[in-house]
Order: sequence, then C-alpha cells, then structure tokens
Amino acid sequence: MARMKFLCDSDRCIECNACVTACKNENEVPWGINRRRVVTINDGKAGERSISMACMHCTDAPCAAVCPVSCFYTTADAIVLHDKDLCIGCGYCFYACPFGAPQYPKVGNFGGRGKMDKCTYCAGGPQQDNTAAEYAQYGANRIAEGKLPLCAEMCSTRSLMAGDGDIIASIYKERVQKRGYGSGAWGWRTAYRETVDV
Amino acid sequence: MHDGNENKVAERRGFLKTLGLAGGAAAAAAAPAAAQAQAPRPRKETEVEKVAARYRETDHVKAFYRTNRY
Amino acid sequence: MLIKRSEGKAARQRLSSTYQGLSAGGMDRRSFLRQAGLGGAGLAALGSFGLTTARPAAAGPTNFSQPIQRIKNICTHCSVGCTVVAEVQNGVWVGQEPAFESPINRGTHCAKGASVRELVHGDRRLKYPMKLVDGQWQRVSWEQAIEEIGDKLLEIRQKSGPDSVYWLGSAKFSNEGAYLMRKFAAFWGSNTIDHQARICHSTTVAGVSNVMGYGAQTNSYNDTRNARTMIIMGGNPAEAHPISMQHMLAGKEQNRANVIVIDPRFTRTAAHATEYVRIRPGTDIPIIWGMLWHIFENGWEDKEFIAQRVFGMDDVRKEVAKWNPREVERVTGVPEAQLKKVAQIFATQKPATLIWCMGATQKTVGTANVRAFTILLLATGNMGRPGTGANIYRGHTNVQGATDFGLDVTTLPAYYGLDEAAWRHWCRVWDVPYEWMVQRFASKALMETPGIPTTRWFDAVLLPKDQLSQPDTVKAFIAIGHGGNTVSRMPEAIKGMDALELLVVADPHPTNLSSMSNRRDNTYLLPISTQFECDGSRTASNRSLQWGSKIVDPIFECKNDYELLYLLARKFGFAQEMFKSIEVKGTQPVAESITREFNRGAISTGYSGQSPERLKLHMQRQEDFDLVTLRGRPGSPVEGEVYGLPWPCWGTPEMKHPGTHILYNTNLHVKEGGGCFRARWGVEREGKTLLAERSYSKGSELTDGYPEFTVAVLKRLGWYDELTAQEKEIIARVGGDNPDRVSWSTDLSFGIIRVALEHGCQPSGNGKARANAWNLPDPVPVHREPIYTPRTDLIADYPAIDDRRTFRLPHLAKSVQARSYSLATSFPIVLTSGRLVEYEGGGEETRSNRWLAELQQDMFVEINPADAEARGIKPGQMVWVDGVENSAKVRVKALVTDRVAKGVAFMPFHFGGWYQGEDRRGYYPPGTDPIVLGESVNTVTTYGYDPVTAMQETKVTLCQIRGA
Ligand code: SF4
Ligand code: SF4
Ligand code: SF4
Repeated sequence: MARMKFLCDSDRCIECNACVTACKNENEVPWGINRRRVVTINDGKAGERSISMACMHCTDAPCAAVCPVSCFYTTADAIVLHDKDLCIGCGYCFYACPFGAPQYPKVGNFGGRGKMDKCTYCAGGPQQDNTAAEYAQYGANRIAEGKLPLCAEMCSTRSLMAGDGDIIASIYKERVQKRGYGSGAWGWRTAYRETVDV
Repeated sequence: MHDGNENKVAERRGFLKTLGLAGGAAAAAAAPAAAQAQAPRPRKETEVEKVAARYRETDHVKAFYRTNRY
Repeated sequence: MLIKRSEGKAARQRLSSTYQGLSAGGMDRRSFLRQAGLGGAGLAALGSFGLTTARPAAAGPTNFSQPIQRIKNICTHCSVGCTVVAEVQNGVWVGQEPAFESPINRGTHCAKGASVRELVHGDRRLKYPMKLVDGQWQRVSWEQAIEEIGDKLLEIRQKSGPDSVYWLGSAKFSNEGAYLMRKFAAFWGSNTIDHQARICHSTTVAGVSNVMGYGAQTNSYNDTRNARTMIIMGGNPAEAHPISMQHMLAGKEQNRANVIVIDPRFTRTAAHATEYVRIRPGTDIPIIWGMLWHIFENGWEDKEFIAQRVFGMDDVRKEVAKWNPREVERVTGVPEAQLKKVAQIFATQKPATLIWCMGATQKTVGTANVRAFTILLLATGNMGRPGTGANIYRGHTNVQGATDFGLDVTTLPAYYGLDEAAWRHWCRVWDVPYEWMVQRFASKALMETPGIPTTRWFDAVLLPKDQLSQPDTVKAFIAIGHGGNTVSRMPEAIKGMDALELLVVADPHPTNLSSMSNRRDNTYLLPISTQFECDGSRTASNRSLQWGSKIVDPIFECKNDYELLYLLARKFGFAQEMFKSIEVKGTQPVAESITREFNRGAISTGYSGQSPERLKLHMQRQEDFDLVTLRGRPGSPVEGEVYGLPWPCWGTPEMKHPGTHILYNTNLHVKEGGGCFRARWGVEREGKTLLAERSYSKGSELTDGYPEFTVAVLKRLGWYDELTAQEKEIIARVGGDNPDRVSWSTDLSFGIIRVALEHGCQPSGNGKARANAWNLPDPVPVHREPIYTPRTDLIADYPAIDDRRTFRLPHLAKSVQARSYSLATSFPIVLTSGRLVEYEGGGEETRSNRWLAELQQDMFVEINPADAEARGIKPGQMVWVDGVENSAKVRVKALVTDRVAKGVAFMPFHFGGWYQGEDRRGYYPPGTDPIVLGESVNTVTTYGYDPVTAMQETKVTLCQIRGA
C-alpha cells in the first residue's frame, strides 16, 4: 500500500514560500500558526540552501510516543493525525518532534485555546471527511478528495514533493541522475529511517 | 483536465448535504473556530474510519507526478 | 552535506533549533524579523477588522453540498503569467486549485500567487468612494464623486489647459483597460499618460527596440529550458519571477547548463548559480565591454552573424578596445581570470541567453546598458534561436501589454509614436475626424510632443511655470492602479502632492498616496476591482496573451477600470465618440469588444490576430501546448499555434497566424512564427546597407534584405495586383492623395501583410540590428559613473552626461554629479534597492494580504558585517539610513549579512506608510491600512534620470548608516 511522504529537493528550493501561503490559503490557518516553514541555511553566503519543513509524518512518530492523552493516530496512508478534542495543549510533542512541527495558538483558534495544531498532510482529522466540522478543526481533506497536499502541488520549482513515497523517491532519483548532484532526501533518515539511494 | 472530476468531487463533497451549512457569506465572516461553534457537530469517525486509507492515484494526482518529472 | 544535518539523534536538537530560525549561518531575513514580530504591529492591525459593507466579501470554507464552478484567470502579480484556478460557489471564491495544464506554471505559484484568493476577501480593500473633508475621510456616493471630480477637472482644463492634469495608468490593467485609458487620454487631449513601465523597463523598451526593432523579451521563460548558458545580470528571478526558476532550473539540470549570476548582491538566484560574479554597482557597461574585449581578442565572436545581420559592430570594437582587463578591474572590481572565463563560456557554450531585469534598467545609463547587453548577444550570435536571446523579465502582470498599448507619454497604442501619421491612423481606427482630435489638444505641437513622465510628475507641479514647455504646471493627479512610493525623491513628491489642486486615487487599496501627504481637502479615493473581478486579456513577459475570466463580481462598491473610464468620459461629454464601436451594457463596456477594436488598429506590433475567441480557446486547451516549444499538439484544435499567440501575430484572426514564440528566428517561415530584424531605420547609412545580407527567414522569396512593405514596394515587386479589389479600396481610403505611401502598419485592410506573408516575407522588412544607434545619446554605449558615486576618482574619466532638457523639463546630470566630491566621504555606502518574493511593487496590496504580511513584518536594510561593526550596529537593531538629498532619512531594522559587499547596502522597495521615523497609519481611511507598514526606500533615493526615457536611478546612490 502507498506510504505518504514529503521530499524537499533542497537543490531546487528558492525560498519563495508558496508552500507556506498555499497552506494558509487552503486551510485558513490563522496568523501566528505555521504548519509549514521554509528555513534557510548559510543565508547570504556561498552554499545557501533552503528547505521547506512541516510535519514529516514519521514512522513510529515520536510525538505520539510522548503524548500523555494518546491523541495521535497513524492512518493506513501513514499520515500522522491527532484528535484536538483530546489534546490538552501540554506541549510535550513539540519537544519530541525532531522537526519542530507542533504549533500552539495563543488565542482561540482552530478548535480551542492552546490545542496543538500541525500539518495534517491536508488529510483533515477525526471528524467525517470534508465536513464543516472537520474543516473548522483541521482544515481541508484533500486526500479524501483524491488530491495531494496543496503546498506540494503549488511548489514553484517542484522542489517540494508529496505523495506515494516510492513514486516521489523515483522522481528524485531520476533528477539526481540527470543533473549529477543532490543533497539527499532531507530529513528522511530521521522521519522514515531510510534514505533515497541514487 | 480535472474538469471531469468536478461531479465526482461534488459527490464526495455531498457529505455536507444534510448539514445545511449556511451560504458562503455567513461562513466567510466567521473564523473557522467560530464556524465550528455554530455548526451542529456531526458524529466523529469511528476508529476504523479514522485510519482507513484514502489516497487514490486519481488523474489529479497523476498530473502532479507528471509535472514533477522533466 | 545537508543530509548530515538530519542524521542521527545528536542532530535532533539542532534540527529543532534550525526550525526556530537559529541556523548555523546566523539569522536569516525571516527569523530575525520574526523573533520581534509575532505580537507586533501586524497582529495588532489584524485585530481591527471591520466588515461594515454593502456586499460582503467572502471566503471559504467550501460548502461541499453545492456545485463548484471552476474559473481560470491569471495571477495579478508578476509578468510570468501563472494561471490561477478558482473554485467558486454562490458567487464566492472558496478555493484555489493548481492549474497543472498551464504550460507556463504547471500548477505552481510563488507565495504571492498561492495567496491571491485573499485579495478578494477584501478585509482591507477600499469599500466605497471617499473624500477628504478638512482632514477627515468621508464616505460619498459614486455619483457625487464623479460629479465633483469631473467638475474640478473641467475647471482646471479651462484655466490651465488639458496638460495640467496628470493621468497615471497601471500595469495591473488588462490590455483592454490599458488601451481604453490611452484612448481616453487622447480624447481628453493630453499625452501626459504614463504607468509603471516608466520605472521598470522603459529603458529596455527604448534601448532594445533601437537595436533590433522590438523592445521586448525575445524568447520566453519556457525557452530557458533550451539554454546551455544563462547569464542573469541585474535580476533576481528567484524572488521577482519565481516560476521562471522552474524552467531555468530544469534547463540547468537537463543541459548541465552554466548559470552565471552577475550582480552586486549575492541573491537567492545566485545561490543556485554555477558562477557568481560580484560587481561594483553601476558598472554594467564595463562588465559587458570587458567580456567583449576577451571575445574579440580570442575571435570567439560569431563573424557570419555579425556580417549578415548587424550594423555598426566595428564602432563597438573601438569602444571595447579601451576596456582591457586592468581597466575593467579598476572600475568594476572583477578580476581578469573570472571575467575571461565567463566571456568564454558565454561565447562558446551555446545556446546562451542573457536575462536581465531592473538592475540593468533603473539607471541613469539604463538605455545604454540594455543596448550593450543586446550587443553582447548579437556579437556572439545568440539571437533568434531556441535557448538564446534577450530574456527580459518584465515586472508587473501586464506591464508588457500596458506598454504595448501606449500607457506611455511618448506614443499612441502599439508604438505608432505621436506624429501626424500616427494620429491619423488611430483617428481612422476610432472613426473620429482628425481635425476634431486636434482641437481637443492645447495645440498641434503639444499633440505631437511627449508628455511628462511619471518619474518627474512632481517636478511638473513644483517647478516655476516658465521652466516647463507647456502652458501651465500640473494641477491635478489621477492615479488609477498605481502606488505613490515608487518614485525616487519622495520628500519632493510629497511637496508636489501637497501643492496639487486635486488628487484622485482609483485603486483596490487606498495606496500610500492617501497617507503620504498632508492634504486636508480635494482628495478622492475610488474603489476599483482587481482583475479577478473583471474580464480581459493580459500579456505575459514573453508576449503571450492570456484571457482572464471574471471570478467574482466586484466586491463592495468597487467598479472595474472600464466602467470608471466610461463614467469619466460621459461626464466629460465624449463617451459617444469614444465608445462608438465599443459595446457598453448600461455603464459597463464589454471587454471583448475592446479587444476587437485594438485588433483592428494595433497592426504594427502584431496585436491584430489575437481575437477574444482564439485567446479563450487557448485558455480552454492549455493542456494541448508543449512545455518547451509552446506549440499546440497535432490533432488538437490549437495545432501549430503558439500558446497565447505571442505578438507579432500577423494579420487578422482569420489568417490564423500562430504567433511568434521566438523573435527574429530565421529558421522558421514567417507564417509559422519566423522573422528577421525590422528594417526601421532606412536602407542605407554612410554608404553601408542597413538591410540584412544573404540572411532571410525560411521560405522567403526575397533572399536578401528588404525594406518595410508599402504599396510602392508591392508595386516595385509586381505583387500589387495580388491585393483584392476590396483591399485596394480600403487602401485608397487610407492613403488619400498618396496611396503608394500606405504601409503594412497603417493598412486597415491587412492586404499588404497578407501578400507579404504569402511570399514568405516579414511585413516590417528584413533589416540589420544596429550596434550603433546613431539617434540616441551615446550611440555606442559608454560607461558613465553614477550621479552619486563613491569613486570620485573616476568622474573625470567617466563623467555623467551634460545637463539638458527632456520631456518638457530641465534634466540635470553632470552638475548634480559634481556633488559627489563633497559627499562621498560622509556618505560612503552605496545604496541599492530591489525586490522581495512576498511583496510586489509599492506593496500596498501585498502588505494588506495577511498570508503574505505575516512572512515579512519589517522594513530592513542589508548591511555588510564589516560596515556594521565599524558603526557598532548589532543584527536586528533599528538604524537610521541617511540619504544625500533633502536631509532625508529612514528608520529601519539592520540585517547584517554577507549578501552585500562591504560598502554596499540594500533595501527592498515595497514598503510605505512610515515617513522619516513617523508611523502614518492614522492617515489611511479607517480599516484600509495595510497590515504591515514601513519606511519607503525612495525617501532616500535621489536625483538621476536616463536621458532617453527619464527612468529614475534607484540602484546606485549614496547613504550613511547609524544606530537609532
Ligand atoms: S500538507 Fe497541507 S497542512 Fe501540511 S503543510 Fe502542506 S498544505 Fe499545510
Ligand atoms: S514552494 Fe517550493 S521552492 Fe518555494 S519555498 Fe516552498 S519548497 Fe521552496
Ligand atoms: S507572482 Fe508571478 S511567479 Fe508568482 S504566482 Fe504570480 S505570476 Fe506566478
């Protein structure tokens, strides 16, 4: 069965932030909450590279392991979701997450004060698919619509890829073979315990 | 290209038919959180529904993969 | 290397901290701003939403029980022209989906395009007309606003003449809007009609057209996929044209292409280059001549191409000979070895393209710069083929089209100019008597004289009347879709604003024109829709036209551009004449009928074949176009046509010309989009031919150069009788006493074009490109030090041009440059400006978009660590940047970075709403202030204008920086 993953080809990312605003647009994410962010390394120097980061939907997700109320669950598509009705906003998951994905609103947003919010892989949450209740708490459910995360679908340079991990890995391999360089599938070892061999 | 999907999408989106979400305008003025407060809460997904696979390789998804290739 | 950062447990902590922005390389522009930002002014501004409205602007979530309509329009930000797919329910734009089928963007966007839906949420839009009464904004009705504005304008017209009203149009207009406004200005009786192109690529248009015939991008974004070498000089497409990078990076990867960035600043684009060349700001011509020095020295030039297709290259050789590697290094700072390597790559690893933007154009030597760039392409034969060319990336969404349709003080639509023949042509198209048109103007002389460029509008308000070559100074300023913080010398612009008798801003947003001045009365704001609330075509940078369909009705009380112009024309009493052949429903002109009218008249640029029907078909069948060639797939209804029918698209729509993907491409038949350089400057000069030699486009029956087609030429060739009787009759009507002089571009029957194409000939002739543009200042480009330069040792050798008069005004250069001697020690830092990815133009629209505003909450200055240390400036602290004129200063955050060299500082130009330390948020009408405000860089930019187009200098001036 297809296993959903993200792959950011950092040799392509130009830090344009389309992925960030696409996410805001699709999910009406409020000011101050960033499900996705772009981080630049060596800013302004030779070797400058940018990487788009969000929840990577890890295998054996560390956030789930530390959650005191067990609000996380992993779907058959390997998407890590959580139930905001259970979340108590304790913040443990933020410290456990190697990617710093969990976000906590300071005011009433996305289903209540202090409830954790993070990237859902545009797959909603434990409310019924594409209902107003699901949208209000978790945002869109594109996966149920037969689509993929909008951040990846709109990425300007086709740097950020989402979808079936095998397919996007093969696309990445094809690129590296063609162009002769590649910094690797960023974050994969941490998130998925594997890399893309080229 | 995915014009053809529209009906299907609408069908899938038909979940809401019973919900009677007021017109776009009302939804617009309200932030998502407020919308939630107003809308009647439907039942949540069962444990089985929650984790069920939803990904499908639709034309839309295939188009995405294609535009990632050279 | 990066992969290591993610490996193993030890890396975990570092990864999390990277995420917080504390990357190993120090603070980046977002993280340092964010740390201070989240609770700041931006958030406070968000708290004050007030939705008190006539028609609620609405937003998602999608109601999945309702049918969803899918409507295509074009991103309203940059000139790449990304297709936007809107999902609409009950007249509300609820979702945005990727347009995978668009050959231009393939579903993708940058931060701006991915958040355009927010523009019609309209939280901070102008909601109804307003006027300033004793310093307070008051709501008024449209009727009252038009009446009062109209009466005041007629009074000014009466008292001071039509030239005392400044009409400023917009690069955000559709083609139809741009054309209509140029026509409107003609009916008003003035050539003082301009738009943003003045301050972005006016120098490109003037410079490049004077070399090759047309002043536009020769190839396309998609075509960079074919390049083996790309030089990006004075441009930062990673931020300014992000989707172009998709094509450029694909080219880089597939062809293992050389990507060379030549820029004073290590840009986000430079981060993806294979070679980065840092230059001293303002030394473009020495760099190009320095490259050509190596090229000529080593015989790397394309001798056959030069012999067949270029005039005057020997004059260039003489100038280039002066630029030996030592002199180049002395002036530019670039070492010999690096420039030689770059020159060799460019000349020998072909096809090679040169990509440029405002780093080249916004200069006192802008026109000369772009001619030098073009000459480098010609000398190496990199023109007229896939992968080559002058890839000039225009700025705003339709700045190409608005330029083409003459929102320009120097010409009528389609570059006909302003002479009597041009006026007679358009009067025929408009079906109004030429004599009637003449009496609309103050005089026939002024009718044929260029107006006042937008860079100098306030000089035309403030200068004594006797220094202006027109009856009176400017009294009223009408800005339709144009910000106010985009001109240099802002302190003087503000004085000009204060002195106006009438100020009108017609725009989706109040713009900083509403908040900059201290006016208390006679100021109006009119709410105008965006192009998402309007039908019409827009021309992307690559000359492709795309039809945008209205997504939602204008929100609140907004009206579209067409209706505004109709209402004004009606008030002035010339609506009948002006809309004679344009369909108007109620008070709403119909977009398609405007398109059809310009199809009939804009012959010279080949804007005649793009009927609304053909354009709409292309939008429907986007998936049928090839990604690289942009050709329609065989068997499809658009077979063989180029996406968007890029101009020139010769003849009538019925002739089915496919449009021209690559200009001057002799490898194709003209009927398939081939062409040659235009024969625009006669046939001979100083005994040498100006026509091409043994070079012609494929299938041409004339196998050598030939002049432009006229009736006389057809007769000489014996092709005259191939014209139909009807065509001859129309030509006779156009030609009057002298039908022989009717040319392809004034022949309303299109017969001359038809016959020329039948014989495989380009209607505009087959000439040579000109390396020597003898009609311009500095016919062969020469280096001139910037007006304000820190290198006063170079002024004697490379002085600014002499003071002169241009565009009805005094135009100083050399006398101002002399100030550098006394200023350079106390203002030792070169100040340059540029663009950020999340904002655009003056920035009011994008800074009002909460999804974008959140990404960049503070205005800043980039300063080199050495300069910061010498001044005791800490990263992130507030500093004053002092300018050299008007004792101007701005208060901004310091971003300490190696991105700029020692002695160079950079500021983005999208901010406004602060002035010399003062937050002017309270001056906006309540609820319409952008979320993010900041100092405008143009408060400290200075005097300096290109002698051909009056382009302002924003890329090189002097400043000092100190802690605040
Ligand atoms: S997958 Fe969806 S929720 Fe996650 S970052 Fe992308 S757009 Fe946002
Ligand atoms: S959209 Fe793509 S290129 Fe732009 S910042 Fe995100 S990952 Fe990078
Ligand atoms: S701003 Fe330009 S690159 Fe960005 S989405 Fe719009 S058209 Fe495309």
